[in-house]
Amino acid sequence: MNNKLYLIISRVFNIDISLINNNSSPKTIDTWDSMNMYVLINEVETEFGIKFSLDEILEIQNVQNIENLLVKHGCENK
Amino acid sequence: MLEEKLSYFINESKKLKESDFEKVSRIAVIGSFTLNGLAETLQVKCAKSNIFSHIFSGGYNRYNEEILNSNSDLYSFNPEICFLILDTRTILEDLFYSTYDVTENDRRIFVNKKFEEISNLIKFYTNKSKSKIIFSNFVPPTYSSYGIFESKIEYGLQEMIHDLNQKLSNEFKNDPLTFLYNFNGFVTNHGLNTVFDYRQYYLGDVKISLEKIPYLANELMGYVKPILGINKKCIVLDLDNTLWGGIIGEDGFNGIKLGHNDPIGKSFIEFQKHLLSLHKRGIILAVNSKNNYEDAMKVIKEHPNMILREENFACLKINWNDKSRNLREISQEVNIGLDSIVFFDDDKVNRDFIISVLPEVLTVEMPKDPSQYVPTLLELTDFNVLKITEEDKSRGKMYREQRKRTELEKSTNDFDEYLKQLNIKLFIKNADEFTIPRISQLTLKTNQFNLTTKRYQEEDIRNFSQDDKKIIGCARVEDKFGDNGITGVFIVDKNNKEWIIDTFLLSCRIIGRGIEQGIINYIISLAKKENVSKLTANFIPTKKNQPAESFLPSFGFKKLNDQWVYQIENHIDSTTSHLHISKEE
Repeated sequence: MNNKLYLIISRVFNIDISLINNNSSPKTIDTWDSMNMYVLINEVETEFGIKFSLDEILEIQNVQNIENLLVKHGCENK
Repeated sequence: MLEEKLSYFINESKKLKESDFEKVSRIAVIGSFTLNGLAETLQVKCAKSNIFSHIFSGGYNRYNEEILNSNSDLYSFNPEICFLILDTRTILEDLFYSTYDVTENDRRIFVNKKFEEISNLIKFYTNKSKSKIIFSNFVPPTYSSYGIFESKIEYGLQEMIHDLNQKLSNEFKNDPLTFLYNFNGFVTNHGLNTVFDYRQYYLGDVKISLEKIPYLANELMGYVKPILGINKKCIVLDLDNTLWGGIIGEDGFNGIKLGHNDPIGKSFIEFQKHLLSLHKRGIILAVNSKNNYEDAMKVIKEHPNMILREENFACLKINWNDKSRNLREISQEVNIGLDSIVFFDDDKVNRDFIISVLPEVLTVEMPKDPSQYVPTLLELTDFNVLKITEEDKSRGKMYREQRKRTELEKSTNDFDEYLKQLNIKLFIKNADEFTIPRISQLTLKTNQFNLTTKRYQEEDIRNFSQDDKKIIGCARVEDKFGDNGITGVFIVDKNNKEWIIDTFLLSCRIIGRGIEQGIINYIISLAKKENVSKLTANFIPTKKNQPAESFLPSFGFKKLNDQWVYQIENHIDSTTSHLHISKEE
């Protein structure tokens, strides 16, 4: 179910996909710093063809938040 | 061309190891805002050109301190190239929002002040460092609070920025160390609304959106490549579906698409026009096509809408041979390295084959749609040169003359006889204001017949030419088919009784005509006048300069430790009777 998002996260944070779950956050992923976070948002937006609002971006604390946003924007995460 | 995502570059850059590369460069990027990811992208792009680059990223909006403090990290990093990227918001300060709070006169004073600040900064830097600096121009705001009335205002917001850009451009037009990067052109190409993303700006002061960083890096590589001497010199073209639509062998002379009344045909005409304009400024063109020679040549010679003609090509390989073999032959006949060649072929199978067999050739990923050929060509940053000289503009003619020389050589059985018939005149000249740009250019780009491959910028040559312990000379070669222009350079260090050859190079198109012997004879004749006893040369091997290696022993230099030494007292000038050598003032 989470393939596409996890693939992007794995690429941007340069970690193995098996280490990612919906609770993953800057606390569990070392490379999740503010710069990489912006890169992640940017690449999620390009690949899903959506744009998050500034509010939505500021809400993101973990992978679950991003997935919720994708559902909210009507994206199919496959 | 679609760039890879920024995360790709960031990850790839982590895998690069300096020890895997022969060439290393040092590049600094400083500016007035966050340019995250640019350093990594430049590193990966340099690595694709086989260069490992150390990148210095300046602190956030610290470019003033970095340049004006001679003890700054920037100077200790000691870059070869420095990019200074500034933005309109930062430079205008509050006037960006409230332009019309001050009078027209104050706006003019403000722009003058900014112009002085920036140009002083740049001059300070080029005086202090040995590096070139490339600074961006400013993007004129498209919005004005005055709306449509903006154009009625004397020296309004947009005019201020245009004026600042123009002043900066004029100031550095003749400065070989400084280049103005048309960042405004970049923004025009990509669109301000995609380059500037308000969310990224508020989140992290990002003023060039992250997805555009790879495209910006691509443009900056357009400066890196000529400065590091890794630019391309020759475009090799397929014919069917590359220079015209359709297949000449099947569609016939009247069936191929190359005409103004047909949208597909127009794409090919436009593509050829851009190729011709590159050719006119010095890029060599050649053909590599699987076809019947006569069929294809008939189009090139007779088709009314053909833009490129036989005389525009230095070499035409139209046959049924393997395309890699043709490319190798083109490289030999035109006398340039395979890594100076860009190859265009619409057929993916051919391209993949060349990529696997000749990875040093830049094989362009051509789009399927011919309407996209032109943008693909225009996005290549590989043909840039820092200076376009007269030699560049007449290169096409020189290669035509070269074809005639080859024909004479083939028709003459005896090589010495051929050399005699060429009636070669060698004019030797010391460096002066007219020849310095060309001398520097030759040291930067000559790879094959080059003893030491030392790269010198114009200002280096200018400094050397004022040093009476050095001889900086160049050679112009003329023969019965035409003038080759300045094609040889030598730099000699006069060290009392021993003269040391610092640089000795010949452009590849004149190798093998005894010119190298002629120039050394000339240097020896100067040395004799000053009672010098020996001439010493170093050979610094590179991947490409084997052609220069055998020259030293064949002339009579003897290897002593790591150097080649020639005893001048033993000198007999016997090898160059076919040359007419004279000194030009």
